[in-house]
Amino acid sequence: MCSVFSLKPCSNVAISADSSITESSWKRNCVSATARAQVIVNVTTAAPNKPSSLLLKQLGIPHSDLRVEEIVERQSSHNEFYRSFSTDHEVMSRKIKPKLDGEFLDESYERCREICAEYAKTFYLGTRLMTEERRKAIWAIYVWCRRTDELVDGPNADYMMTNSTVLNRWEERLEDIFNGRPYDMFDAALTHTISQFPLDIKPFRDMVEGMRMDTWKSRYQNFEELYLYCYYVAGTVGLMSVPVMGISPTSSASAQTIYDAALYLGIGNQLTNILRDVGEDALRGRVYLPQEELAQFGLSDRDVMSGKVTDGWREFMKAQITRARSYFNLAEEGASHLDDASRWPVWTALLVYRSILDEIEKNDYDNLNKRAYVGKGKKLLMLPLAYTRAQSRPPTLLLP
Amino acid sequence: MVINLVDLWPLVSSQHFAFPFLHLVATSLLSSLTPYSEPNFLFYFAPRPILLINKSSRLCLQPSLFCRPKMVSLARALAVSYPAGCPCTNTHAPRRWSSARLITLKDPNSRLKWRSKAADSDNTPPPPLPSTSAAPVDAADSAAAGFCIIEGPETVQDFDKMELQEIQDNIRSRRNKIFLHMEEVRRLRIQQRIKSAEVGISDQEPESDLPDFPSFIPFLPPLTAANLKVYYGTCFSLISGIIIFGGLLAPTLELKLGLGGTTYADFITSMHLPMQLSQVDPIVASFSGGAVGVISALMVVEVNNVKQQEHKRCKYCIGTGYLACARCSNTGTLVLIEPVSTTVGSGGDKPLSAPKTERCPNCSGSGKVMCPTCLCTGMAMASEHDPRIDPFD
Repeated sequence: MCSVFSLKPCSNVAISADSSITESSWKRNCVSATARAQVIVNVTTAAPNKPSSLLLKQLGIPHSDLRVEEIVERQSSHNEFYRSFSTDHEVMSRKIKPKLDGEFLDESYERCREICAEYAKTFYLGTRLMTEERRKAIWAIYVWCRRTDELVDGPNADYMMTNSTVLNRWEERLEDIFNGRPYDMFDAALTHTISQFPLDIKPFRDMVEGMRMDTWKSRYQNFEELYLYCYYVAGTVGLMSVPVMGISPTSSASAQTIYDAALYLGIGNQLTNILRDVGEDALRGRVYLPQEELAQFGLSDRDVMSGKVTDGWREFMKAQITRARSYFNLAEEGASHLDDASRWPVWTALLVYRSILDEIEKNDYDNLNKRAYVGKGKKLLMLPLAYTRAQSRPPTLLLP
Repeated sequence: MVINLVDLWPLVSSQHFAFPFLHLVATSLLSSLTPYSEPNFLFYFAPRPILLINKSSRLCLQPSLFCRPKMVSLARALAVSYPAGCPCTNTHAPRRWSSARLITLKDPNSRLKWRSKAADSDNTPPPPLPSTSAAPVDAADSAAAGFCIIEGPETVQDFDKMELQEIQDNIRSRRNKIFLHMEEVRRLRIQQRIKSAEVGISDQEPESDLPDFPSFIPFLPPLTAANLKVYYGTCFSLISGIIIFGGLLAPTLELKLGLGGTTYADFITSMHLPMQLSQVDPIVASFSGGAVGVISALMVVEVNNVKQQEHKRCKYCIGTGYLACARCSNTGTLVLIEPVSTTVGSGGDKPLSAPKTERCPNCSGSGKVMCPTCLCTGMAMASEHDPRIDPFD
């Protein structure tokens, strides 16, 4: 599974070596429905000479199917903002004081920071651009997501004899976290984060569901299936981080659109991951590109595994990259709708991640043998560019 | 009756035979076992296995109460949980096991379902990694036993209801199993080497679980356990060569390393300094000393690197294998809060008593819980030597 954390499935490759994976997974942007329609129109008119059969499906699964609005509602309601665990009846009845004292928490957050710095160097640098509270929250969420991923894809996943029991138990622990009864120190950091920011459990649950999917599914028939997978492993991350990033009070857009944009950013990230790692995944017997779309361009699994780049492959990749870019565009429109302090890291992530697609193109669409890599210099150049984009005010004529 | 489990292994390991096989095993045990295990009884079975029928009662499979634990159990054979010492009769109170971990004869479909789910999907399953070919097999027994390797808040209570003697027996039997398995792995490795030699595969290095790791010193090739010897050898010979050069060759050959082809003695004379200074040639001496120093320093660094890498630590637990328990914040105890009366009555005069504490149920008082990433081994890549032995250490 290629997750937005750039965790390579079942490999011993040091993940952090891939510094082209950035904090882009955390960025979400607001976009209006009209802007979205515009982009779709643009995509379809971008290649007027191509027969329509060679254009890929643009929309995945409607977000209403994914029940995103539930998450939006729960995370937006300010009543729950200050979560108190003293209402936990069991705790009260047993008269046990749940200790989440300062020193213990500080140490937990410090450990989360170390892990983030170790495994996702560029992402870590991006988080340095955020405020202190947000940073800690992001680290805690990152560590939880990474631990979940390692259950299925880590170096010791085989010993865990990954079956549903492991993930079921992990989900039970997740529920305990949300009930104010964390099991170990990293769970405690997440519990504290939940008390500081209005996070809902559904995105986390969905991520566990995505891990379940990854244990048995290695082929995807159509884009809907792939979209669902991308939602599970990357879209949820976007949803998790909107409450942490915060929505700008001067923004006129609705929460739903902002969350949608966040979702799209996650999808875009994941699609980029997938497109970058086609060769690597194929070596491990996984093909994430939808089978129907491969067939549409006259390709099949064999072409993927063969490692040969043909003209047909290039056409196919062009279409895929166009679609991935469109998701970034969808996400981009409303980056300025986030809280002031959060815009710069979000924009940086978006730009850097999108540039991976440029690198794939520069490699002559050879993602079967080469790994598209954005150099440090280029990343640093993105910083000032992102800064200027982050300064722009939200468009006033944006429809909610 | 002699049942040779080894011969039956292919049956057991095939996906859909496990459960019927269990039935066969169970019935054969019940019908044929005598009080004392016979020496020619090659069938491995647990000291006192229990096959759980449902949550509240159990059918005791053990043939007798007196089976000596010297027959080491093979979990795969019976795929049961082992509360050793459980009496055969139903007069004892049924033990309550967490329902999540029960595997019941009544519901063989669940297990088959799990297997078939893993096997069939509308797409090709990922190719199994060679090092994990045994994993599905192990998965079978552990899953069958309902055992989940990841801890949760209630799981430390798993073996809570067992008596002390039972626990000791269980520990002993499991440690025996571990040693047996290690021995099996060793023999399998021998076979593997023999067979690869037969097939003509070039003599591979013993596949170690740990990959090679980069050298700390730039531009040097990566280190493995094998070429570490080469490193040592090269280093040693370099040092001795330099010492020999500096100590024996240079003076013997009366090398003239000074400017203009002069010896050190000439230099001293030209500077009108006392001739005693010329007894040691500083050019050669400093060069040799410096070179030896540098090489040995580098070697020390490299050895350190090797030590570190070989025990490459799990970053989550920093190599300890354990994480701090959040329930008790690493102390091991929970403070019980009693409501304190503040009325100005008889209660007001008494001094507050010290708060009572109880053992934290999460970590059983040890203050730490298993790190699920390295499975308590403390290493990024889990292996057999690990801190699982003593959770209270």
